[in-house]
Amino acid sequence: MDDLTLLGFGPDGWAPLLLKGCLLTLAVSAASMAIGTVLGVLLAWARLKGPRWLRRTALVYGVVLRGVPELLVILLLYFGLPSLILSLAETFGWDAPGLPPPFLVGSLSVGLVSAAYQAEIFRGGVGAIPRGQFEAARAMGFGDLLCFHRIVLPQVARVVLPALGNVWQFNLKDSALIAVTGLSELMRTSLVAAGSTRHPFLFFGVAMALYLVLTTLSSTAFHYGGRYSNRWDRG
Amino acid sequence: MRRLLRAGIGFAMAAALSLSAAWGRASGAEEPPPRTVVIGTEGAFPPWNITRPDGTLIGFEPDLLQILCQRANLRCQLVAQDWDGMIGALQAHKIDVIADALQITPARKAVLAFSLPYAITTGVFVTQKDSPLARMANRGLVLDLDASPTPERQTQALAALREELRGKTLGVAISSTYDAFLDKYLAGVITVKSYRTMGERDLDLLSGRIDLTLDDTTYLRPLLAAPDAQDLVLVGPELIGGELGAGEGFGLRKDDVALAERLNAAIRSAVEDGTVRRLSLKWFKADATPTLEPHPAAAGGSPQP
Amino acid sequence: MGEHLTFIGSVTAQLVRAVPVTLLILAVSGVCATVLATGLTVLSVARSPLPRLFQRTWTFLFRGTPLILQIFMIYYGFAMVPWIRHGFLWTAFRDPVFCTCLAMTCCCSAYIAEIFRGALAAVPRGEIEAGRACGMTGFMLLRRVIAPSLIRIALPSYSNEIIMMTKSTSLASTITVLDITGVAQQVIAHSYRTLDVFCAAAALYLLINAGLSALLAALERRLDVDRAVSSISVPPVVEPLS
Repeated sequence: MDDLTLLGFGPDGWAPLLLKGCLLTLAVSAASMAIGTVLGVLLAWARLKGPRWLRRTALVYGVVLRGVPELLVILLLYFGLPSLILSLAETFGWDAPGLPPPFLVGSLSVGLVSAAYQAEIFRGGVGAIPRGQFEAARAMGFGDLLCFHRIVLPQVARVVLPALGNVWQFNLKDSALIAVTGLSELMRTSLVAAGSTRHPFLFFGVAMALYLVLTTLSSTAFHYGGRYSNRWDRG
Repeated sequence: MRRLLRAGIGFAMAAALSLSAAWGRASGAEEPPPRTVVIGTEGAFPPWNITRPDGTLIGFEPDLLQILCQRANLRCQLVAQDWDGMIGALQAHKIDVIADALQITPARKAVLAFSLPYAITTGVFVTQKDSPLARMANRGLVLDLDASPTPERQTQALAALREELRGKTLGVAISSTYDAFLDKYLAGVITVKSYRTMGERDLDLLSGRIDLTLDDTTYLRPLLAAPDAQDLVLVGPELIGGELGAGEGFGLRKDDVALAERLNAAIRSAVEDGTVRRLSLKWFKADATPTLEPHPAAAGGSPQP
Repeated sequence: MGEHLTFIGSVTAQLVRAVPVTLLILAVSGVCATVLATGLTVLSVARSPLPRLFQRTWTFLFRGTPLILQIFMIYYGFAMVPWIRHGFLWTAFRDPVFCTCLAMTCCCSAYIAEIFRGALAAVPRGEIEAGRACGMTGFMLLRRVIAPSLIRIALPSYSNEIIMMTKSTSLASTITVLDITGVAQQVIAHSYRTLDVFCAAAALYLLINAGLSALLAALERRLDVDRAVSSISVPPVVEPLS
């Protein structure tokens, strides 16, 4: 079978599955980015404002999750989560739930790692705001929420956005590791295609090209996002 | 043959579920007689069950089930779902039957009830045509690992196998049912490489990074028929029974005796009239008809042909 | 409890035996990637556009795709290329450890080259001009002025990259290498005790990374010759009035 048939939309073509894989890669990266941002903000808050024990916990979390291979985190969650859920259900006397879907396990594991990196970024972002500004805001009678909205958010967003763009790129590439759990994202689809058609060079080459498209598109998007958040700087 | 590692997770899950299911019945939940039966399959385990791009299920098991359900007077509905949640879904009454090339093993019998086997697969070795292993002895000799006492010929064949494979590298799909066999008979003799998918293993077999592989004849025979697998060849003895399990059966809930009886009768008739043979030749390029124990009702009567 | 501890002990012993494999991959690809990155950095400041284009393409290709895909491409993809499969290169490409090292060298060299490039741009122009004024040229200027500054500037990011590389070595397990992660998976396949085994493996990686971090931090302190000076706040550079 020639390469064009294999990559086409015909009955023997892999194009639909590869494109579906691209979408799933984007979806799982976005989900893990969201999990990472929420948890990352919480961790950054814990490191900056939390009580002593929480500060310690957040610190240890960061050290461990940034020091252990992502692949190991994914495998641990993939194989370990079911028994954890089971023992939780037993402890609380719940009905045993089904096994967690691979999408959840995948985005959660990449998200947990992402959170450790994002926490550092947010901590640095808040640290970059001069203390005087908080005092000035308080003097003007700003409440916490208003202070966050008017003082913290615009400045942190500006400092943090390029770094978040980097984390997104890492998430996108780390999502390929979720292939080991059997989730049919781009990496897994190309692997299955390579294995069953026995044309690995072709399919891994195509997958590389598709990842390049995804990373280039998203770095362009972050570039424009950065320009938007920097709009006050110009002129 | 089903991967065991994931199944291990499933069993831990199922053990807890069967407890809760027992609780549910004790409190008086009654189920209707299984006139309509929901059958769970993976739809991603060719050639046993395959999902076509339009969502329909084809393969050995869908073909066979169509005939079995007709004979057992069941309205069967085939649903595709991930293997990971399959045993849980069975215990939770979401499905009534698992049809997914499920190997009958003692460990699984602790959790599930099994129908009679509707197929039995042998394990075969495949290597490259230009490999020295291509001339392995005892080609096609079936070694029944359950045979007791072990025939002289079989002991010799296993000893010969150990000698021929000494120092070779054998690739298997990770956590396959062959692990137990390899541990028992070839530990320390060969190097075993585990692959996450069969596709990866096949690529390394073709490139010559591994000397040979051991897998189901139902998987390897169709592979050998593919045009780009011309360099591969079946070698050595075929393995059956023992660590490899007692054939593939439908997984059922332990209390669902009525359904087991209806399915068993249908399987018996399909085995006896050659339906299983016809379908297995179609899908596996090999006869996978199991040998069934004599019918309980006919015990003491005429033995199976 | 006792049985549990014995199990963890035996698992740890098995995993420790795989540490040399992980370290071998790290050492080989670390050294090769650094050398290659130096070359790429030189290309990036070349006068003619072709070498610069090469460096940019290299970076684009290897930073834009997942390392696991690069490893699979080299391991499975190249094995189907006739002249590699049947040529003398096959002895090397046959070996999964070689394939991992090759992929990691290519990928990480792209990242390290970017670090070096950034550091090179950050070497104060004044230092170079001062060197020139003292009559230094070419290699002497590089060895005495540029390299010491560049290494000091690049070292923190470089250390980060080495930690990333340590983590990346675990990908070797996906192409049948029995490194720490590979052995961990093998043990789990036979024992089903996921949590204990993976935690032991994670602890080993943390230990390796802690050791490396300590080493690199010590190197950073050693190289920081003007620590005393830098602790005094440096006045901002004043643009010369022209």
